Amino acid sequence: MTLDGVLLIAGGIYWTLVVTVCAFLLGAALGVPICAMRVSRSRVLNAVSVSLIVLLRSVPPIVWIFLLYFGLGSGFLTINPVPAAIIALGVITAANMAEIYRGALSSIHPGQWDASHALGLPVWSEFFDVMVPQLFRVTLPSATTYLIGLLKDSAIASTIGVAEIAYLANFLSNKQFHASLQIFAFAGALYILISLPLAAVARDADARLRSKVAQ
Amino acid sequence: MERTAEARPIVEVKGLGKSFGAHKVLAGVDFSMRVGEVVAIIGPSGSGKSTLLRCLNQLEQHDEGSIEICGIQMRADTPIPRKDMNALRRSTGMVFQSFNLFPHMTVLRNISLPQERALGRSRAEADERSRALLDRVGLGSKADQYPARCSGGQQQRIAIARALALDPKIILFDEPTSALDPEIGLEVLAVMQELAEGGMSMIVVTHEMHFAETVSDRVILMADGKILEEGPSSEVMRNPKSPRAQQFLHAVMNR
Repeated sequence: MTLDGVLLIAGGIYWTLVVTVCAFLLGAALGVPICAMRVSRSRVLNAVSVSLIVLLRSVPPIVWIFLLYFGLGSGFLTINPVPAAIIALGVITAANMAEIYRGALSSIHPGQWDASHALGLPVWSEFFDVMVPQLFRVTLPSATTYLIGLLKDSAIASTIGVAEIAYLANFLSNKQFHASLQIFAFAGALYILISLPLAAVARDADARLRSKVAQ
Repeated sequence: MERTAEARPIVEVKGLGKSFGAHKVLAGVDFSMRVGEVVAIIGPSGSGKSTLLRCLNQLEQHDEGSIEICGIQMRADTPIPRKDMNALRRSTGMVFQSFNLFPHMTVLRNISLPQERALGRSRAEADERSRALLDRVGLGSKADQYPARCSGGQQQRIAIARALALDPKIILFDEPTSALDPEIGLEVLAVMQELAEGGMSMIVVTHEMHFAETVSDRVILMADGKILEEGPSSEVMRNPKSPRAQQFLHAVMNR
């Protein structure tokens, strides 16, 4: 494997990160209303969000990506590979984040709501000052685990031609199939190199947040 | 214990009823209380004491009767306007059995944040008031700690300071010492006694019989969602009339 090859594959880091980060942010944001519907008292909203979550999570990511890119893309509207990958992975992430938020919500002591009401905090303050920071701490470990999973899932964007790490590795190995082992090993190493600092930052943030509330 | 209570009522409850599903928790509760009075509510577990308290500041909505507190009218059959709800929460403070401090904020933030959000005080104003109140409850040195670093008794005194910071006209105490061991509970009771002597209107749901007898002006004894006896503290505690009240007081006084 030549230096050119190394640089070529490393160039894929950009699209790997774009797809991963954008899909995660989209999912983290869309997960909020889905979770809100899931815990609402309305049976209709409940049913809508449960069906949405089941639908989004039961279909494999690669099928969602094909559905969006080849299905919708062939005739209904044209969609580029990168947005197609981001949207497909993003909505799946939304369903999972909604469930992560829901679990975190139930971990908050009901007395926190009582106190917020009794103190006359406005609704926005109850949400942003009291709930979000506590939810953030509780969701951090599982959200990070999901993010690292998503980083690896972003490789399936290669199937619709997004020039990320896996796509470029595959491209190169088709040309230099005698070096396939090194090429894919290098691609794998790149994923590890991105995951490690992510996990380290999350562990550190978790430890710092936890130390505040520890006895 | 020399305290003068004004004649003006601060709380007036008429025909209060509350059910959770098919279970009737409160039925036909009537009582009133004057400004500056300290009322203790005692009674066996499940008698509706805490629910009564939570109805007063509408953490639970009552479904029968009417409540008037600090001039705010709340009838079970009419929804309470937002403006009245805000006024209600502003006039009433509440102290909980489980303290309910915000765990992710320092002690100082716990007391200052509600002042800023509910009363619109500036950060500097709020912090000044918070520090003064922390000194008053003997915890001036804890301002920059997180609640988890404080003992239960300290957390409850912080919770009292947090309630006081909003200048309530009345404070509702929901079993403030039940989660504390008896010795630690004393430091909380001392703060409450000081408040009572300062003329604060207080309703205290409690199992502390000594506090009920000596600090409160009046005792309300509840059982099965109803008021069984009410009157001057020593009278209710020493000479209960009904057999159920006698049975309860006999059980708790002779421990």
